[in-house]
Amino acid sequence: MSSEQPAALRGLDGVLVALAVAAAAHFTNLPAWITLLLVATGAWRWTAHRRGWPLPPRWLRATATVAATVAVVASYRTLNGVEAGTSFLVLMAGVKLLETRSSRDLTVVVFICYFLLYAALLRDQQLRQLPWLLAGVLVATGALMRIHAGTAGDSLREVLRRTAVLMLQAAPLALALFLLFPRLPGPFWGIAAGDSARTGLSDEMTPGDISDLSVSGDPAFRVRFLGPVPPPAQRYWRGPVLHEFDGRSWRRTRGQAFPQQQVVATGEPVEYQVTLEPHDRNWILALDLATQWPEREAYRAFDFQLLAPRPLTELTTYRLSSHTQYRAGLTLPESVRRKGLQLPEEGNPRTKALGRELAARHSQDPQAIADAMLRSFREQPFVYTLDPPKLADNAVDEFMFDTRRGFCEHYASAFTLVMRAAGVPARVVLGYQGGELNPIGGYMLVRQSDAHAWSEIWIDERGWVRIDPTAAVAPERIERGLIGSVGVNEPVPGRLRQDSAVWFQVSLVWDAANDFWNERIVRFNAAGQMRLLERIGVDDPDWRALGLAMAASLAAFFVALSVYLAWKSREPPKDWPARLHAVVARRLRRRGVEHDPAESPVAYLDRAAGACPDIATEIVAIREVYAALRYGPLPTETDLRRLKYLVNRLRP
Amino acid sequence: MRSLFRRVRAAFDERMQAWLRRRQGVDRDPVLLHRRRIYILPTRLGIAYAVMVFAMVLGGLNYNNNLGLGLAFLLVSLGLVAMHHCHGTLSGLVLRLLATDSAFAGQDVRFSLLLENRSRTPRPSIEVAHESAASRLVDVPACGSAPAGISVPALRRGRITLDRYVVATRHPLGLFRAWAVVHPAYFAIAWPRPAEPGLVPPGVETDTGGAQDHARGDEDFTGLKPYQAGDPLRRIAWKAYARGRGLHTKQYAGTDVVSHVFDWDSLAGLDVEERLAHLCRWVLDAHEHGEAFGLRLPGTVIEANIGTAHYERCLTILALFEHGGADE
Repeated sequence: MSSEQPAALRGLDGVLVALAVAAAAHFTNLPAWITLLLVATGAWRWTAHRRGWPLPPRWLRATATVAATVAVVASYRTLNGVEAGTSFLVLMAGVKLLETRSSRDLTVVVFICYFLLYAALLRDQQLRQLPWLLAGVLVATGALMRIHAGTAGDSLREVLRRTAVLMLQAAPLALALFLLFPRLPGPFWGIAAGDSARTGLSDEMTPGDISDLSVSGDPAFRVRFLGPVPPPAQRYWRGPVLHEFDGRSWRRTRGQAFPQQQVVATGEPVEYQVTLEPHDRNWILALDLATQWPEREAYRAFDFQLLAPRPLTELTTYRLSSHTQYRAGLTLPESVRRKGLQLPEEGNPRTKALGRELAARHSQDPQAIADAMLRSFREQPFVYTLDPPKLADNAVDEFMFDTRRGFCEHYASAFTLVMRAAGVPARVVLGYQGGELNPIGGYMLVRQSDAHAWSEIWIDERGWVRIDPTAAVAPERIERGLIGSVGVNEPVPGRLRQDSAVWFQVSLVWDAANDFWNERIVRFNAAGQMRLLERIGVDDPDWRALGLAMAASLAAFFVALSVYLAWKSREPPKDWPARLHAVVARRLRRRGVEHDPAESPVAYLDRAAGACPDIATEIVAIREVYAALRYGPLPTETDLRRLKYLVNRLRP
Repeated sequence: MRSLFRRVRAAFDERMQAWLRRRQGVDRDPVLLHRRRIYILPTRLGIAYAVMVFAMVLGGLNYNNNLGLGLAFLLVSLGLVAMHHCHGTLSGLVLRLLATDSAFAGQDVRFSLLLENRSRTPRPSIEVAHESAASRLVDVPACGSAPAGISVPALRRGRITLDRYVVATRHPLGLFRAWAVVHPAYFAIAWPRPAEPGLVPPGVETDTGGAQDHARGDEDFTGLKPYQAGDPLRRIAWKAYARGRGLHTKQYAGTDVVSHVFDWDSLAGLDVEERLAHLCRWVLDAHEHGEAFGLRLPGTVIEANIGTAHYERCLTILALFEHGGADE
């Protein structure tokens, strides 16, 4: 069947490549069975094309369509949303491949490729997507050209070259539309919640389970300080506060209201702007302790965590002020005190006993108990490591008295438990600690690997006081970050190791580029458009100015493109040989060989060659090409080029 | 319903063609496609593309997804750039008639066109179409030319005119179709359909041509002369050719030079078309056998002769008999 129309199926290979590139953008998110099905269908279609196998009958294709729909609905419970939609599109592309008989069918597959690329952007807008996106558009458009260009589409290199030219010519208008097309202040229709898991802080902490948080070198957020940058020891970025402990895991409180506690700030505020990568949670990471925030976009919970009204599903920026010196809480409400002392009845008996013993020895003085605890962390053989042994039921007991190897979560968990057992209200705070300044971009980058956990204890007259037990074991974790604090032979993910200075510089530049991308491209919006118009000199811009600017740039683009294309396809000047001959005559005049108007050009060149023996060879060469162009049977463009070349080189 | 739609559409097309013809007049060779006579519309795929891109823009605006919007805008401008390229593929193209191939009625006459590209950019995938058939896609190189043919079925003898054809392209992405309608004044000749062999021509006027034509005859081989176009194939000296001496024609001499004169009046009793069909058959056979022949029609006498030019001239006279050169 397919052998009937071999000409109509021009470009099947290009389409298969385009589909592979577009689907590869989803490779990590697609279920394996969909990927396998697509690969199998593509391979089968290609072989069928080469071998001339018949395509499947209509009923089989209809069954495949229904089966694909059912399968997607069964695994996602919906066809809506990026994930399910993508899977559905990929399956439909596979089914469509089964019936590609004409150039129209192939074109439909190319359109699906465009949509798949688009869906990849709905999921992730990071800079590293850009090369893949451009490659995808190039390949898909090339496939489209190959389908429709007839025999001219046979040369793959030529098709790619011409597609690249098309894209380059399209780029200015695309840029103008991007900058000037009016953006909406809000969505037309509801936005489905992000359905993909993103890395970030969790609202639960279970020391002893494997934690992969510190593995990731991805950025968590970036901070631009408007004033002086706080020293490393004060860079505590507050995240969720964990109150509930069940003997193994720490969790946030749920469904219970607590009274707000007052904060008295002293000293100068630190003003900054934080740009958070989307993490699908509603917390805003703020420098401890946030004292000013945009009222409508955020609020501060009773445990001083800054929260947004909605989960952050896209890149978001907040302008905040914090004080690093403060008194958090003047009095301790009873409900908060009870929460801060809550302990499970069972488990971890040795740790609880230690707490009670410390309380008795230091006569209930919270600060003294904490100091004693930190001292024991420091003096006894505790080791800071990213690769701790797994812990069983009485996790804290095991850690405190047996393994003594762990990272921030272990220390924060054990410390908080001891304090509670000693009768001091305490809680675990998750967040980030540290951040590296990027001198190129002028901002501070905080990575997922900077995630940290510490404790807060209540001390009368001083309020909630931050105690970081990790600092006692590994002070360099606070001063120098994760890399500086683990042993040389510790297993650390490769991307975190800053082995060479060059690599460090490269990563700085790469992150600065990412920051620029996030700030200028991904977060570009209506306000950004107005600022842009102001910068190009429009006073008090509104949407009308925007529309005008867009119309003007469209018109300018069309004129420019028409002129350019007309110039590109202009006819070569009528009589290049004659012009070039005139140039030669002008040059030879300096040698005293005048062109007699009655003399034929060839005869003149002969005479000149005789008169100037030193350049005779060049003149004879010119004469020959000139004669070939003028009188030869097949004057070619190459001859003309050669004549130009020879004339340009002639320097009498 | 469907047939009504078709009728309306056919009527519309006819009006449109008439209007175009009035607007542009008859084109003289060579035809330069000026940009103002090139029409362009999106194809169905182009419309589908537009719908897809529109959906992308809406989605990008709604989700405030700048990268998605960027992709959509890139596709928008790709489409618009492709539109310009599509238009530019035809704009400035020069078309001229290269040759017309006559044929017997019932076959196709063929108009060979030359597509000339005087610009520095190639013009790929151009289609030259007539109501009856479309040509294959032609790629015209930069500063070069490429041939394209239009075949028109000849239903009866006479002049077959080509007064309208379409040059079109979907290059580069198939999203737009640009076309221009050309109204040339080309014609080709459809010779009469030859009658079935059977009726033997009267062997009239056997010429004792020795005196006037000693170099020709059928009897005695006299030697070889270099081949000239028009020499009968059966007289080519193939053996000499096989020895690598080039194409030569065997020369014969003799008194028995036969030249037929096919006479209209010898076919009394048949109607005009039948007579023409028989004359055509005789001319055809005589030419094939390399015999000299002449024609005698009412009002026209053609002296006996041989060669392709003479053969085609005779057929053309037969084709146009009593049409007076008027259009079909």
